[in-house]
Amino acid sequence: MSAAMNRALPLLAAPVAFFAAFFAVPMIVVVSSSLMAGGVPSLGNYARVLFDQYHWDVLAATFRIAGLTTVACALLGYPLAYYLVRVVKSRALRRTCVILLVLPLFTSNIVRSFGWMVLLGRNGLVNDALVGVGILDRPMRFLGTELGIVIGLVYILLPFIVLAVGNALAAVDPALEDASSDLGATPFDTFRTVTFPLCLPGLMSGIVMVFTLAVSAYVTPALLSGGKITVFPMLIFQQYSTVFDVNYGGALSITLLVMTLVLVGLAGWIGNAGASATGRKAQ
Amino acid sequence: MTHTRAATRTVSRFAALTAVLAAGVSLYALPAAAQGEIRVAWYGGNWGEAFRTCVAEPFTKATGVRVVPEIGTSTVTFAKLQQQKDAPTLDVAYMDGGISEMAQAAGVLEAIDPTGVPNLAKALPEAIYKADKSIFAVGSGYYSLGLTYNTKEIKTPPTSWNDLWKPEFADTVTIPSPANSSGVPFVMFLNRMWGNPPGDLSKTFEKLKTLKTALYFDSSGAASNAYQSGEAIIGAHFNVGAWDLADKGLPIGFAVPKEGVWATDARLHLVKNAPHKADAQRFIDTALTPEASACLAEKLYLGPAVQGVSVSPDVERKLPWGVGGSVKNLQLFNWADINRDRAAITDAWNRELARQ
Repeated sequence: MSAAMNRALPLLAAPVAFFAAFFAVPMIVVVSSSLMAGGVPSLGNYARVLFDQYHWDVLAATFRIAGLTTVACALLGYPLAYYLVRVVKSRALRRTCVILLVLPLFTSNIVRSFGWMVLLGRNGLVNDALVGVGILDRPMRFLGTELGIVIGLVYILLPFIVLAVGNALAAVDPALEDASSDLGATPFDTFRTVTFPLCLPGLMSGIVMVFTLAVSAYVTPALLSGGKITVFPMLIFQQYSTVFDVNYGGALSITLLVMTLVLVGLAGWIGNAGASATGRKAQ
Repeated sequence: MTHTRAATRTVSRFAALTAVLAAGVSLYALPAAAQGEIRVAWYGGNWGEAFRTCVAEPFTKATGVRVVPEIGTSTVTFAKLQQQKDAPTLDVAYMDGGISEMAQAAGVLEAIDPTGVPNLAKALPEAIYKADKSIFAVGSGYYSLGLTYNTKEIKTPPTSWNDLWKPEFADTVTIPSPANSSGVPFVMFLNRMWGNPPGDLSKTFEKLKTLKTALYFDSSGAASNAYQSGEAIIGAHFNVGAWDLADKGLPIGFAVPKEGVWATDARLHLVKNAPHKADAQRFIDTALTPEASACLAEKLYLGPAVQGVSVSPDVERKLPWGVGGSVKNLQLFNWADINRDRAAITDAWNRELARQ
């Protein structure tokens, strides 16, 4: 045991040092600066954030946008992953699909959000098409609305959920599904009681990833909101980059972090409770 | 047989590649080894390109000293200067007005001495920034935030900032948000323009609330994008960005309204304890020549901050002060006032305007 430990320790040193330097230290800097006001230790910054309805409104908008993004990603991503893993038989085609899915990740968020600004604009392709087909009488506003931000975020975050669900689906043993249908279950029942619960952990990890990335997204909301909607990361960015109040900015950052952790924890707890409930029912 | 030939070919190709690489490396390394170098922080994109062509290249040609650029926005450069306060690697830093004053207050700048930089004598008096009687920055060119409009949609050029409130422009206007360096000063500019008391911006925000905008832009790029796509057909934009669009053939015009324009400048700073102080001073001296200023005016339409610069008539009309103007026509605010009110204005903006 201790010999194995001794061998493992030097191997661990590199990741631990990396983690300390690029995660722990900056985090400590942010936390400690958030606890200072006017050069003295104080909780004043947190009071300023928490006792102000404005911040709660912005927080609500941030979580609403992130929540809608996550739901849309799950609804679009799950069938897409299912299609890629179960329906596409040709390996070459599947590989092509995965490459197409991942390819946008190689382009910067800024460029992609600018692309959406052009597409969703008053004279953009989306409005032109909707008006041309006759769905709309006149161009609809996307920029500066929560819908516009959600569209941009879903596009950027969809690959994360597809890859997470796809991996989970690929790991499901087909023998279990065969057994289920041998025992007389319809394909829908098999999916509902066997396949879906088995890839739930993959779906959950995809959901958590998408939600946390959507909550912390800055570039996409900043560009697609047209400055008319404020999400929490925009407030943080303002304090750090233009107002230069790192103390207040730090308190905003930690508030967002804690609130997000609470929500993610809550979702995980509900997910677990739900999973064990269905597990019991299945037994 | 074919196999061997292919292998030989690969080897020779590899050798050729190595030779090219080696030649490249030695070309790159030689002047540095022989003459030394200085590190200069400047901005990205066409700004950085212009500084390279107009200042760095003539400087290297005259002195043999290589210029290593460190690309970043003013804010990033300021952050770097603070981090390397004890052992700086930068020699010269370009930073915008506003950040410049913050850098001075943070004690990361060295006084620019007229004996080391003789061309300071040629600089406009407005372009020399002093604190405690020593020069902490010198202007390298002005740019302004003027009225920008789509010439296809708007036939008669707008003449007043109040034109933005005309009903025919509803939902097609753009102005800067406080995330942009011009956002907070623009609010103060409007406040002064409407004759509201300097300490009370409530009336100005009331008026801004009635402005029907398409978007508030947080970066110059976002503004350019909005004018280019037709999302915005009138509003504010920098003369640099607006004329850049016009030069690309887009139907964009830039006007200096009767109330004037808010303007600021890109400034040169000598870094405190710069490792190559003498060369850094010479670099600043080169930047203050009429030739460098004329070159920056041609490339970016930056209004020259030194005397005796002549440019072509086409460039002249695109300068920040417009046709027949000069630095006297620019409304240059005191950045100390802007920085003092920055947090309050940003906060008021968030609450009043940046929520539906």
